[in-house]
Amino acid sequence: MASTMLELTNIHKAFGDNQVLRGIDLVVDKGEVLAVLGPSGSGKSTMLRCINHLETIDKGTIDIKGRRLVEDGVYVDEKTQHEILAATGMVFQQFNLFPHMTVLENLIEAPTYVKGLSRDEAVAIAVDLLKKVGLADRQDSYPARLSGGQQQRVAIARALAMQPDIMLFDEPTSALDPELTGEVLKTMRELAEEHMTMVVVTHEMAFAREASSRVIFMAGGVIVEENEPQEFFNNPKEERTRAFLRNML
Amino acid sequence: MEKLFDMALLIMQGAAVTLEIFVITLALSLPLGGLAALGRLSSIRPLRYLMEFYVWIMRGTPLMLQLLFVYFALPMVGLMLPDIAAALLAFTLNYAAYFAEIFRAGIQAIPRGQFEAARVLGLPHWHTIKRIVFPQVLRIVLPPISNETINLVKDTSLIYILAMNDLLRVARTIVQREFDMTPFIIAGAFYLAMTAVLTWGFKRLEAYYGKYDA
Ligand SMILES: Nc1ncnc2c1ncn2[C@@H]1O[C@H](COP(=O)(O)OP(=O)(O)O)[C@@H](O)[C@H]1O
Ligand SMILES: [Mg+2]
Repeated sequence: MASTMLELTNIHKAFGDNQVLRGIDLVVDKGEVLAVLGPSGSGKSTMLRCINHLETIDKGTIDIKGRRLVEDGVYVDEKTQHEILAATGMVFQQFNLFPHMTVLENLIEAPTYVKGLSRDEAVAIAVDLLKKVGLADRQDSYPARLSGGQQQRVAIARALAMQPDIMLFDEPTSALDPELTGEVLKTMRELAEEHMTMVVVTHEMAFAREASSRVIFMAGGVIVEENEPQEFFNNPKEERTRAFLRNML
Repeated sequence: MEKLFDMALLIMQGAAVTLEIFVITLALSLPLGGLAALGRLSSIRPLRYLMEFYVWIMRGTPLMLQLLFVYFALPMVGLMLPDIAAALLAFTLNYAAYFAEIFRAGIQAIPRGQFEAARVLGLPHWHTIKRIVFPQVLRIVLPPISNETINLVKDTSLIYILAMNDLLRVARTIVQREFDMTPFIIAGAFYLAMTAVLTWGFKRLEAYYGKYDA
C-alpha cells in the first residue's frame, strides 16, 4: 500500500467576505503526480499556498507525511511547523529567484543556512541539480541573464536542493513565452519519472494527460471532479468539467 | 606670507567643523532612518502613526527653522546643549526623516514573492531581511541616498546662522576683514571637492550593488 504524503481534510479559507475554499478533501500518496485544473479564481493557488502555510486556513486539518500541521484550524507550534514544512518545496509562477545572487548562490543559500550543510556539500548538491536541469554551465550567471525557462528550471533546482518529499508547482509555465514552456515541462516530467510526489496547478493539458497520475478539477472553491487522467479527459462526468475542457482543448 | 598662512589655517579649521557635522550627521541619520522606516512599515499602528507624524514634521518645515528651534527654543525650556550638539541634533532628525522615506520606498519595492520564496525554503525572517531583502533595498536606495548626501554637504552651511565657525562663516569673516574674495573661492572649491568625492564613491557603490542587473 502506498504511504500517504499529504492529506487535506475539510479545508476552508476566506479572504474577508470572499469564501475561496469551501471544504477541500484531498489525499496525495507518495510518488503521485497530481494535476490540479480549474478556471482562474477557483482557488487552486490558494489551496497550494495553504498546504505550505503561505496562507492560514480558517477551518480543517492538514497532515504532511503523517504529521499534523494544523488540526481544526489550530496550527502546531512554529518549530514543529518548520520541521513539517521542510518536507515541501514550491515553485512559483514568477520564479522568484533572488536576483542579487548567482544561480549557484540561489541554490546553496538555504541548504547551508537552514540545513547547516558545509559550503562544499551544498555546492556538490547544487552542481548535480544544475546538471540535471541542464544548466550546469550557468552556475555563475545572475538570474536576469537567463531566459524565463532557464530561470524556472533554476527555481526547480533551488527547491530540490532542500531535498523535499513533495513538490508544489503553481502554474510554473504560465509566465513563460510558449516556446520556453517545453524545457520546463521536460524537467518536470523527468522529476515525475523519478517518482517525486508532485502537486501541479497547470493549464498545460498535455502535461496533465501524459505526466500526471491523477487529475482534480476545481471550481468555486471545491473539488468538482477527480479521476485518473485517461478517464478524466475521455469521459468527464460533471457538466462543469466538460465545459472547462471544451474551452481548453 | 604669514597672513596667508593664517588664512589657510582658519579655513582648514572651518572645513573641519563642516566635515564633522557632515560625517556625524550621516553616520547617525542613516541607521536612524532605517529604523524609522521599519517603524513606518510596522504592524503596530501607534508606532506607524508616530513615525508618519515625525516624517511629516521634519519634511514639512524648513531645516533652518528646525535648527533655530533646537538652538534657541530648547534652552528656554531648560535644555541646554553645546552648540555643536544642538546643530547635530537638528541635522540628524531632519535627515533621518528623509532617509526613512527613501528606505520605506525601497523596502516596499521588493516583491512579495521574494519573501515567500525565502519562507518556503525555510529561511528565518531576520535572515531573509539581512540576506535577501537588504541587499536589494540597498541597490534601489543608493541613487536617492546619494542625492540626499550631496544635499547634506551643502546644507551644513546653514549652521552659519548659529554663529559656529564652519567653512562658510570663516570664509566670510576673512573676506570682510581682508577685502579679498579668495576665501569664498577656496570654500567653493572645498564643497565641490567633497561632492566630487561623494559622487565618485556612490557611483562605485551603485556599480557594485548593480552588478546583477541584466
Ligand atoms: N491574498 C489575497 N487576498 C484577497 N483575496 C485573494 C488573495 N489571494 C487570492 N484571493 C482571491 O481568492 C480567489 C481565488 O484565487 P486563487 O486561489 O488565486 O485562484 P486560482 O489560482 O484558481 O486562479 C480569487 O477570487 C482571488 O481574488
Ligand atoms: Mg493561481
